[in-house]
Amino acid sequence: MTLTGLSLSELLMIAGGTASVTVLLYVLKLRRRAVPVPYARIWDAIFRDRQATELFSKLRRLLSLLFQLALLALMILALGDPKPKTAVLDGRHLVVLVDGSASMKATDVKPSRIEAAKVAVRKLVRSLGSADRALIVGMGSLPSPLSTMSSDVTELEPAIDLLSAADTRADLERGLSFARDSLRGLPKAEIVLVSDGALGDVSAESQRVDLSGIALSYLPIGQSGMNVAISEFSVRRYPLDKARSEVMLEVANTSDQPVQVELTLLGDGAIIDVSRFALGPNERLPRYYQDLAGASHTLEAKLRLADGRADDLPADDHAYALMPERHRARVLVVSKGNTYLEAALLLDEYLDVTSVAPGGAMPSERFDVAILDGVADALPDTVRARLFLNPPDGGVPLKWGATLSDFGFDTWDKKSPILRLLALGDVQVASGHALVPSASDRILGASEQGPFLVSGSHSGHPFVALGFDPRNSDLVLRVAWPLFVLNAINAFVEEDTGYVSSFRTGEVWRVPVPSSVDSATLIDPHGAHHTVPVKEGRAVYLGEEAGFYKLSAGSGSAAVTSEFAANLSDLSESHITPVRELSLGRRKASAVQVAAPSSKRELWVYLLGAVVLLSLVEWVTYHRRVTV
Amino acid sequence: MGFLDLFRRDTTERATRRERVLFDDEFQRKLEMLALVSRRVFAGRIRAERRSKKKGSGLEFADHRDYVAGDDFRSVDWNVYQRFGKLLVRLYEEEEDLSIYLIVDCSSSMAFGNQKKFDQARRLCAALAYVGLANLDRVTIVAVNDGLISRMPTTRGKARIFRVFEFLSKLEPGGVTDLGAALKTFALQHKRRGLAVLFSDLYDPAGFEAGINVLRFNKFEPYVVDLVDRSEARPALKGDVRIYDCETGEERELTVTDSMLDKMQRAVSEYRANVERFCAEKQVPYFAADVDTPFDELVLRVFRRGGFLR
Repeated sequence: MTLTGLSLSELLMIAGGTASVTVLLYVLKLRRRAVPVPYARIWDAIFRDRQATELFSKLRRLLSLLFQLALLALMILALGDPKPKTAVLDGRHLVVLVDGSASMKATDVKPSRIEAAKVAVRKLVRSLGSADRALIVGMGSLPSPLSTMSSDVTELEPAIDLLSAADTRADLERGLSFARDSLRGLPKAEIVLVSDGALGDVSAESQRVDLSGIALSYLPIGQSGMNVAISEFSVRRYPLDKARSEVMLEVANTSDQPVQVELTLLGDGAIIDVSRFALGPNERLPRYYQDLAGASHTLEAKLRLADGRADDLPADDHAYALMPERHRARVLVVSKGNTYLEAALLLDEYLDVTSVAPGGAMPSERFDVAILDGVADALPDTVRARLFLNPPDGGVPLKWGATLSDFGFDTWDKKSPILRLLALGDVQVASGHALVPSASDRILGASEQGPFLVSGSHSGHPFVALGFDPRNSDLVLRVAWPLFVLNAINAFVEEDTGYVSSFRTGEVWRVPVPSSVDSATLIDPHGAHHTVPVKEGRAVYLGEEAGFYKLSAGSGSAAVTSEFAANLSDLSESHITPVRELSLGRRKASAVQVAAPSSKRELWVYLLGAVVLLSLVEWVTYHRRVTV
Repeated sequence: MGFLDLFRRDTTERATRRERVLFDDEFQRKLEMLALVSRRVFAGRIRAERRSKKKGSGLEFADHRDYVAGDDFRSVDWNVYQRFGKLLVRLYEEEEDLSIYLIVDCSSSMAFGNQKKFDQARRLCAALAYVGLANLDRVTIVAVNDGLISRMPTTRGKARIFRVFEFLSKLEPGGVTDLGAALKTFALQHKRRGLAVLFSDLYDPAGFEAGINVLRFNKFEPYVVDLVDRSEARPALKGDVRIYDCETGEERELTVTDSMLDKMQRAVSEYRANVERFCAEKQVPYFAADVDTPFDELVLRVFRRGGFLR
């Protein structure tokens, strides 16, 4: 037996002091209550019998003293926290990794898998030996330790209550690495993985994390895996008709049974499409919705079983997307008059066109694009990009090359967004000039005689230069002309560039913040406010919940608010059929042995129990007048 | 008027209040009823006296009573025995003027337990005094503890009952009981013999027999009214206590248990039985007066037992 609480010398000191005080109190003469009687001599008859009982009274008083000393001894021994020597030496060290991924939200076990996991972990903790120590870790996209390595059930149980599941995948590799590092140098190290087994491809993790010398056990959670899911969801506006959008989504049936499902699309909260279709066992079905109108801001997809039943995992039945924001592009046209150009600009209602005659005063407002038609007037810095049409020599960042005549697009960059969807092979040009690009410029179109369509950037202003007057060609008579103009404007505006219709949960999001601030405020789908740091113009946040988010940066008139959506979009989390046995590569996790809770009890608990029991006996005998 | 005056006035008022409670109108009505109920027989030297139990010339048959060992066989009524099969003794009464001495124990023990014994003793004393006065007997009241405390001079006539009330109301319990010494003084001061009714709890450290024997030996007709408070037999005590005698201050230390209380109850019963046995042996009428029994009921019982009423 070893004392793990106070030392023996301390206990002896306390015992000596308290026992002395107790004995002293017993030695003191009992102060009796004085009671008058009418005739004391009648009591003499009783006193004759008292002689016989006096010895018993003294013995009873001695027993009372011994009883008090016994209580003291038990309490002082409990302070020492005695434990069997073997228990102190042979304690296990456990890291309990509890899966906190989206699949643990499944409701095949009531109320949910994560709650069932809590119950299982609580049982496990209560069954630990007195020398065993455990660390509770929530394993989501990042491992989160919720307690210290402790044998104290009162510390571990509140940590278990903190366990939760989020709309993310569980990062097993990080979880195992964390557990391995926590157990480094500790004897009898063991990792207990509490999960439903929906962890994706686990063979890779086992190879990357060295678990040699650490026991691995697995506590499976879950019963069944009836689930349908929206595994992908994306939306974009049509470039030339931004009032309409195109949606791509993918639905999957991860169960072994064919199902009929109903898919509902909601635009700005109103239903815009409902469709029913069948999904075979383990089938993934992509679906496209083209020319979808009715949504201007938010788009949601909801999936459910057609027969009205709920599947086991509601978390992946709802997906969110935010439509790209539309704003009008401001275009400055410097031209003596060009009907073809004006007609092309009229095709897009989201263009805000300002026309200026060559040599006239330039407006001071900000412009996205300036189109210089046959001129090369100086432009203020508030004009971001330039489109030169037949510029004069020296009016562009390029020099003129050879004079061209009767030429066409012999080669052009079909991958350039400016020439996207354009058929330029038979365009005839009467005359023009070749352009001499610099090393950083990009040739978009050229004839055998030389390049005449070049893009690049000069002094921070992107530009596109066309080396001929379109009116000297049949280009203006073709559909390619307005497409060229509008593509160029769209390329400069960069409205779609880098747009993400939704983020993926469980990843670090870097959301552009159009403001020079150090931090921003993020409002999550539950309405909770989070202050997030801004690094290099982007707010950084590890998102774990699907839904719509709002991000605010700056204050006062400089405040900017943007919105974005987040989705689970992880098919591995939607495969919720529980895995009964887990193998990490060639290593198979053993089953967890949960002993009866009684074996966990500390000896001091029994000692205090004995104190309480003895006190109870003393109380009963006193109040029932047995010992008084 | 100082604080002490206030206290004194308060004490006086309290005494008056107690007197009113002890001898209120209801009490006096009951006394009248008792006097009417009693069948008075007048004889004697003055006007109309009652019969006494004294034997002598001019005896007249008065009553029967049960035969007890030691009775004179000549007084057995054989006719009754022939008719009913019961041994009854014929009682005769001598017509004479009777002196009634009412002796009230005023020791501290009489005040124990909220003074119930003392109050009951005074009520009984007043009742007997009223009947005696109504019968034109010579009534004397004496208060004793270890000596003679006070004495109401001999008086007669119903109208003097208020004097009796006043005397009894002014009595205050206190002191140690020594009935032997007190009644010796009483016997020396009262040469005319008669009925001596002793109202006491008989808690006499010198023994209860001493006082009764003094009366017997001095030719008085003793009558013992034993004031009994049943709560004294089983006091509400538990645990470690130090008991002390309310008169003598004698102390005992003990731990009271249920079994001890049972023994105490038996000891008190035994003490009463000893008193009763002694009185029976000495042919002294004994009556145990429970303090919780209404006084008028007790008076009727006393009269019957003592021959005041037939």
